[in-house]
Amino acid sequence: MDSTLLTWITFIPLIGTAVIMCLPQRALGAVKVVSLVATFIPLVLATVAYVGFDKTTEQMQLVANVPWISGLGVNYHVGVDGLSLPLVWLTTLLLFIGVPASFGIEKAGRAYYALLLLLEVGIVGVFVSLDYFLFYVYWEIMLLPMYFLIGIWGGPRREYAAIKFFLYTLAGSVLMLVALVALRLSSGTFSILEMVDMAQAGALTGANLPFGGVLLGMKFTTWVFWFLFVAFAIKVPVFPFHTWLPDAHVQAPTPISVILAGILLKLGGYGMLRACFPIVPDAFRTFAYALGVLGVISIIYGAFVALGQTDFKRMVAYSSVSHMGYVLLGFAALTEWGMSGAALQMFNHGTSSAALFLVVGVIYDRAHHRDLNGFGGLSQPMPVYWGLTTVAFFAALGLPGMAGFVSEALTLVGAYDSADPRFRILVLLSVIGIVITAGFLLWAMQRVFLGSLNEKYKDLPDINLREILCQAPLLFLCVALGIFPHFLLDWMEPSVRHLVGLLGGAG
Amino acid sequence: MANAYLNGLAAIAPELVLTGFALAALVFDLATKGRDSRRVGYLTLVGLALTSLLLVAQWGEPSRTVLGMVTVDQFGNFFKLFTCASLAVVVVFVLNDRRERRHGIGEYYFLLLGAAVGVFFMVSTNNLLLLMLGLELLSLASYSLAGFHKGERKSAEAAMKYVVFGGLSAGIMLYGISLLYGLTGTIDLAVMATGGTGGVPAGLVGQVSENPIPVAVAVVLILAGFAYKVSLVPFHFWTPDVYEGAPTPVTTFLAVGSKAAGFGALLRFVGVLFVHEDVQEAVRAYGERVGLLIALLAAVTMTVGNLSALRQKSLKRMLAYSSIAHAGYVMIGVAAMTAGGFEAAMYYLAAYYFMNLGAFGFLLYFEGVTGSDAIESLEGLGWRAPVVSIAMVVFLVSLTGLPPTVGFYGKYLLFQEGIAADLIWLVVIAGLNSVISLFYYFRVVRALFLSKPAEREAAQQPAFVGLLAALGVATVFFALFTAPLVDWARRSMDLLSAASG
Repeated sequence: MDSTLLTWITFIPLIGTAVIMCLPQRALGAVKVVSLVATFIPLVLATVAYVGFDKTTEQMQLVANVPWISGLGVNYHVGVDGLSLPLVWLTTLLLFIGVPASFGIEKAGRAYYALLLLLEVGIVGVFVSLDYFLFYVYWEIMLLPMYFLIGIWGGPRREYAAIKFFLYTLAGSVLMLVALVALRLSSGTFSILEMVDMAQAGALTGANLPFGGVLLGMKFTTWVFWFLFVAFAIKVPVFPFHTWLPDAHVQAPTPISVILAGILLKLGGYGMLRACFPIVPDAFRTFAYALGVLGVISIIYGAFVALGQTDFKRMVAYSSVSHMGYVLLGFAALTEWGMSGAALQMFNHGTSSAALFLVVGVIYDRAHHRDLNGFGGLSQPMPVYWGLTTVAFFAALGLPGMAGFVSEALTLVGAYDSADPRFRILVLLSVIGIVITAGFLLWAMQRVFLGSLNEKYKDLPDINLREILCQAPLLFLCVALGIFPHFLLDWMEPSVRHLVGLLGGAG
Repeated sequence: MANAYLNGLAAIAPELVLTGFALAALVFDLATKGRDSRRVGYLTLVGLALTSLLLVAQWGEPSRTVLGMVTVDQFGNFFKLFTCASLAVVVVFVLNDRRERRHGIGEYYFLLLGAAVGVFFMVSTNNLLLLMLGLELLSLASYSLAGFHKGERKSAEAAMKYVVFGGLSAGIMLYGISLLYGLTGTIDLAVMATGGTGGVPAGLVGQVSENPIPVAVAVVLILAGFAYKVSLVPFHFWTPDVYEGAPTPVTTFLAVGSKAAGFGALLRFVGVLFVHEDVQEAVRAYGERVGLLIALLAAVTMTVGNLSALRQKSLKRMLAYSSIAHAGYVMIGVAAMTAGGFEAAMYYLAAYYFMNLGAFGFLLYFEGVTGSDAIESLEGLGWRAPVVSIAMVVFLVSLTGLPPTVGFYGKYLLFQEGIAADLIWLVVIAGLNSVISLFYYFRVVRALFLSKPAEREAAQQPAFVGLLAALGVATVFFALFTAPLVDWARRSMDLLSAASG
């Protein structure tokens, strides 16, 4: 396949941004059409890439590598493997859904869609970068559109939420930048793949740096590991770095919450797999159990806090903390099953949490509040909506037959199999999280849809066609991947096996 | 002999032309009785363009010392071109300053060009006396410029503070120079550093072992003089008040042109004395300790600058504190005491040129619209003047050090050279400082875009808006294509190689 394919996927939205900026302010219809086109083409191209992907190899595919900043040895080096391609596809899908989901936004529409498309450039860029400098540039490019999208079009406390999101992420990225400079000086390259090779050969120890590989009594690799881990953990977010998330999610407009939960959180997990663990595998192995513990704390803590929420959106936001905990647990277990489960969980959370936020958006657009206790009996005026919500809820709580079940089960089985027997305790503990998750979702279902009808809402219009069309692909994936998970697992398998090998885990 | 003299004059042709235009500006203004100050501005632009052409013609010539004390090299060339380029923008600012029409401003241009002549000499000499003269010429012109709005209290106060602080630190610096002269028997940096030549007994090399404390005192006193010029903590107290009180175009010149000149002279002082490849080993080792002191200054400067900026309500004062913080970042490259570090510092200055000229230009534009420099008064103006405001977002992103902007790339280079020079603690402090700086820089963004659209209409100044947009584009462009600026900085490192001196 053509090696420029990934570049097109990345930059077509940028062309869309440029076109939108040239359109007059009043031509909102044209802006919407351009946005649809500029997100649809990448989706098609990503699908082409997905279909044409060679599932037998862990090698990078669709690679393009040309010098960019030659003085510093920075290359425009992009490519995908089984870990990144599904996420690239998910990104293009959610952005495409994000456009019609935004049709209700009236205020300064031109700027909104221009920023939305710019956001896609940054996200896809991170997933396809194989050069650490490039990776960092995309990582940061994403922040600015997100800041504006939350800050201009968000809820009442949008300014606070936007700057909090920005500051947290930037604090993480500064750590990443310092680690990146140190890695560059130690390895002499920006290529992530070369760094991984050097780490395998035991050559990436920082011994050639002025401080000789040990700083304040801690090994260079340990420093790099924690700097990078915190940078990515903020994005995931892992407890205790999660406090920006409820604010950002709740204040962001619905389509932005969808993208935030659906993709941005995955950047953290993906970053760990691509640009943290395999570069410092020894340090990762040393602290794997600690990461597992953090994962379980996130699972249980997120679930309990979600249980205590009365704001529908806040509940969904905390459920993300809980669900992303499985991802960390699966990584830390260092088994092939655990890793596959975690990678699958990232994708499945992308669809199920996006669906949940759309669900919240529908009711908020109609009732203009999100208080779980303020509804009741909505299954009568809105039966179709109720049905779709049920599917989304069951997907999120991991009902067998749904996608979330496969990934969570794989993760837990993989973690149970870990060479480190202490992981069995973690698995047992995380079952609490599953129970609580089922609890808060079903309780929310009961409060909103069942019981006696709240008279105020007896004339609420049911979910409309546009909203159904936005939901449909996500719910379809939640169900389909529960029955045919191999449509993802087969793609991921060689890369996962290779990664587990790199990290020195059991097969 | 006469031939050597003529060659020397040819080598300082840019300085001569600049002086000629400075005088011409003054005479023209007198002849027209101050009625035609716009034309004086155009005349100034022509002079700057001509000088730049002469400087570009000197491109690639080997470094040489003429007339016994002026060193013509690529390093000096970098800062001279930098000065011309920043002055040209400042002149455009003056021409577009809506508040400036009240004042007879012919002398303004004379003083600006005079300051430039001072800069030219201070960045191109190893002779400490000439350096001092150039620095004083720059300072004198700056004092008058800062107090240019004679009738305004703030402006007068600014000039007064500036004079008092400037006089004090010039005295301190001169004292340091005299100590150094007494110790080494020369006022030429290159001779001091390499020692022994031209009948000079020992230069610095004997003194660093025999009289380490007097040498330390001398070096610290001279550094204090530079620290004042580039506003490093604790010599920064004048900065916010002077920046606030001075007319905004003058502030721009102080923050960009004058500060870069200070760095030019500082880099030459430190470079020729301690880092040059001919420097004796004992002196170099001594220099590494000086580097540690500079690193400390850098850390304190960026932290104090950023923390003070957090509380500012006036955009002008905020930018003043931010310029202090940025001086701290540049000092990372100086503290590295390596050619790479110097290159990074110079790239950062070039980056600083785009983003800070842009930010001050934005300030000037909105002072013209709102008549105020309070951040609050910007509320919602982003929707009214989108081009200027989007450009401002680019400048602020660059000042914060986020990609894809020159500010990010400059910061990256500084971080890299800092870690390579074993200053990882300083790099971590600088990193945390960028997080702090995000908070206050984005208060401006928040005011511009996160509020309801303002009622007020934007100003129609197409040329000015075009200039700001161009600076914004350059801020991104030179980050995607870094080669021109990086090569330029690298070429200027003849300061440290054998050919110079």
